[in-house]
Amino acid sequence: MNSVLAKRTIATAILIIFSLLCLLPLYFMLVGSIQETTGSSLLNFIPRSLTLVHFESIFSSSRMMRYVFNSVIVSVSVVTGNLIFSTMVGYGFARYRFKGKELWFASALAVMMIPPHVIIIPLYKLISTLGWYDSYAALIVPWLVNPLGVFLMRQYISSLPVEIEDAARVDGASDLYIIFRIVMPLAKPALAVLAFQVFLTNWNWFLYPFILTSSDSMRTLPVALALLKGYQSINIPQLFAASTIAALPVIFLFLIFQKQIIAGITSGALKS
Amino acid sequence: MNNTGYYSSHKGHFFISPWIITLLVFWLFPLLYSFILSFYATDVIRGTSQFVEFQNYARLFNDENFLAALKNTTIFVIGTIPFTTILALIAAVAINSNIPLKGLFKTSLVIPSITSMVVMALIFSHLYAPGGYVGSLMRIFGISPPAKGLLLSETTALPSIMAMDIIIAFGYYMLLYLAALQNIPRNLYEAAELDGAGAFGKFRHVILPHLKPITLFILVINTIRSFQIFVEIFVMTKGGPLNSTLTAVYFVYDAGFVKFNMGYASAAAYILFILIAVFAALQMKVFGSEKGAR
Repeated sequence: MNSVLAKRTIATAILIIFSLLCLLPLYFMLVGSIQETTGSSLLNFIPRSLTLVHFESIFSSSRMMRYVFNSVIVSVSVVTGNLIFSTMVGYGFARYRFKGKELWFASALAVMMIPPHVIIIPLYKLISTLGWYDSYAALIVPWLVNPLGVFLMRQYISSLPVEIEDAARVDGASDLYIIFRIVMPLAKPALAVLAFQVFLTNWNWFLYPFILTSSDSMRTLPVALALLKGYQSINIPQLFAASTIAALPVIFLFLIFQKQIIAGITSGALKS
Repeated sequence: MNNTGYYSSHKGHFFISPWIITLLVFWLFPLLYSFILSFYATDVIRGTSQFVEFQNYARLFNDENFLAALKNTTIFVIGTIPFTTILALIAAVAINSNIPLKGLFKTSLVIPSITSMVVMALIFSHLYAPGGYVGSLMRIFGISPPAKGLLLSETTALPSIMAMDIIIAFGYYMLLYLAALQNIPRNLYEAAELDGAGAFGKFRHVILPHLKPITLFILVINTIRSFQIFVEIFVMTKGGPLNSTLTAVYFVYDAGFVKFNMGYASAAAYILFILIAVFAALQMKVFGSEKGAR
């Protein structure tokens, strides 16, 4: 019995240390963003003074709000596109028989192994040629169909009973009606996982938005934060406040949908 | 039954057309175009390109900066992945044991991995700065940190970024290990106990063999990710001091978008692509070989 207790104590001690390593940096950011002035030491365990003035200055800066707006527009558009297109493509793969089906599906798996940073130069040239450089199209259109989404939705829709669709078809329902009114509501658990994954990637993404835009008014939040680091126009508490605004949406979404997200991430990994 | 398709129709092609377009336009075309570009030299001043056969590749292997980038990237990959994997496994085993506040620990460890890398890199820049907490912590252990700060010294910059990467990444892989651990049937533990296995014996003979497939998966996805490290470098050091944190993707970015030599940058990107593929294939061969026998 004692050895069980010892084991539990060791496990708890290890996890306390790990949790501190993981959470302290973000705690410093939070404390740094609610302190009045910086003084000599920038990071403190306990805030010397409490103020929301840095958040106010960000919310009242039209430049900062533009970055937030850009991040929201891009993330929401890409998530919406992926929900619609992945359902459609997943449905095609799950329910239809056609030429080259196995090859097209295998291509989605293969593409997941392509390191995206390796094709940055040709993609930049392609986007420039299309006339999309420094526009929302560059940040949205190439990412509307995610290979992970294709994979997830095909797997999920294949597991749904086909009888409901048959009944609807007998009643004269069109393909689009079946996909968006019958399959989509049934596939909600898989769509939630996909939405979070896609949101996470796009909300945090740096390299592509950085390379594919140039004007200040097209910058997303992470890109702006990275570029603002060295500027005189922003002080460090403000930078931490902006970082907090960048970090919180993902953390909130994760806390709310934790169970589904973890189940989704791990079920995909265990299968492959 | 649905694996072969239920309705037989040309409509299938229509439904998957969004994927076909994305694949051809935004994945395969760039991949091919990048390959072609890598045989051209860009004249920045005149704005022309010229076919130069393998010259870009030949030049790269004599380019000190590129060799430094390959070396640093390899050090980064080999130096972080074992620690990330082991910490992830330890954390997963600890959370899987019967302790209070499991959910809280699990969430805490995952949060850094879902937070923007730019944000994490900004915070760590301050932790590593002169007078920052990491320097103070080092002094407690009797090590004096470099006066300029950990990120401005050639010897400590890369290891500092590696340490940060391990802390940020391991929580995500812990989730994968945890799921694999919870998939092990209970009766296997009981059988091992009946055979007189202790805690270590159970770990060695029951847990480890079961974790092999997920370990392979973790190694491969972490390798692909780690070879592409860029954001931390851009935010924290810009490749410096003296190229000590210059990584392969940073080199590609610098050659293509700072020096505007797209052909040269494409050749560097292709070498990186091949390197990643070889590393991933090696891992599958080494760790995947016994999978069939099990």
